[in-house]
Amino acid sequence: MKILLKAFLSTAPINFAYAAEGQKSAGLPQMDIATFPSQLFWLVITFSLLYLFMWKFVIPRLGATIEERRDKISNDINDADNLNTEATDILKKYDEQMASASQESNEIITNSKKAMLDHLEMLKKENEEKVNSLISESQAKIKAQEEKSKIEIRNATVDTVKAIISRYIENIPSDEEINKKLN
Amino acid sequence: MAADNPIDPIHQFEISKIADIQLGGIDISFTNSSLFMVFALAATMALFVIGLSKKSIIPNRMQMLSELSYNFIANMLRDQVGDQGRAYFPFIFSLFMFIFFCNFIGLIPYTFTVTSHLIVTFAFAGLIFIAVTIIGFVKNGLGYLRIFYPSGIPIFLAPLIVPIEIISYLSKPISLSVRLCANMLAGHSILKIFAGFIVMLGFLGFAPLVFLVVLYALETLIAALQAYIFTILTCIYLNDALHPDH
Repeated sequence: MKILLKAFLSTAPINFAYAAEGQKSAGLPQMDIATFPSQLFWLVITFSLLYLFMWKFVIPRLGATIEERRDKISNDINDADNLNTEATDILKKYDEQMASASQESNEIITNSKKAMLDHLEMLKKENEEKVNSLISESQAKIKAQEEKSKIEIRNATVDTVKAIISRYIENIPSDEEINKKLN
Repeated sequence: MAADNPIDPIHQFEISKIADIQLGGIDISFTNSSLFMVFALAATMALFVIGLSKKSIIPNRMQMLSELSYNFIANMLRDQVGDQGRAYFPFIFSLFMFIFFCNFIGLIPYTFTVTSHLIVTFAFAGLIFIAVTIIGFVKNGLGYLRIFYPSGIPIFLAPLIVPIEIISYLSKPISLSVRLCANMLAGHSILKIFAGFIVMLGFLGFAPLVFLVVLYALETLIAALQAYIFTILTCIYLNDALHPDH
């Protein structure tokens, strides 16, 4: 602290050297020509350093970073576009597959329906035929039985007639004669 | 003496030596002005060194700030001058950052505003004027003289227009330097005067205090705006030198 204070005190007279001069020539410190060389000198030094710093360090680095980011963004956008196209293609394919699958399944449904109906029809027909044949068979059996019964009845009738006639009449007619009379 | 009055508004512009340096009979002492030039340099360097220390694709705040300033000036130069202005970008960028930080550091109480001294702003403006004139003649040859006679002006108006154009051309460095310097000088003086009112009025000091707060915000705007204006005018002069036909 003491050293600093001493240093400050020692520079104090110099500190006001410019101001005193300024007071004499003009009111504004801006008009004090004595300060111009020092201001210009330090301005040249500081600004040159700043210029070098900007030129050699800041601008190349910042430019590179910004460029890099721009590239990255455009690359990412490209990637996103590609992925989007891919996704659209996949969606299209999926839709197509879905469409063909549903068509296929519709065909399968129609076909199996048809097959089922055909099969049903066939079974029905078969059964009908069976039933019909059974009916006609039965009818034939009935008819045959009827015929047989008719003949038996006739024969029995003939026999009966013969028996009756033989009791009363000597001349027994033949079967043919009786049949003729019965008709 | 100015230093005796604590609320002398001009006192803040006084230059005092910190280290006495003489070179061949010329006084190039390190002064408070030099110190604040170094501060502006250090502030700019700090911004970019911190901002660029971690180059990442997704920037952090400091990197964002440095990139914003870069893009701001790069866009300004591109809009005003076009692609030919690219070579002058380091200078324009340095100019903006230096004036910007000088203006801003000057807003802090008890600091010194480097740009409030006409010699500093005139050094910049003079350098720009000379450089622009040289660039104009190098790029266009004697065709650069066309800027004194804009196309589409009837020939009988030439005796009137040409002197006016020459005077306006020659006054460019003066208007450029005085604009910045006067803005800084006036603004900081008014701030100091109103700060003095606060002290003098005692309890009633809140009224100038409110005004001072508003004025301080305005001065902050002006500090940025003047740096911007200085830079964009430099771009416009540069454009005139590169394309004198417009």
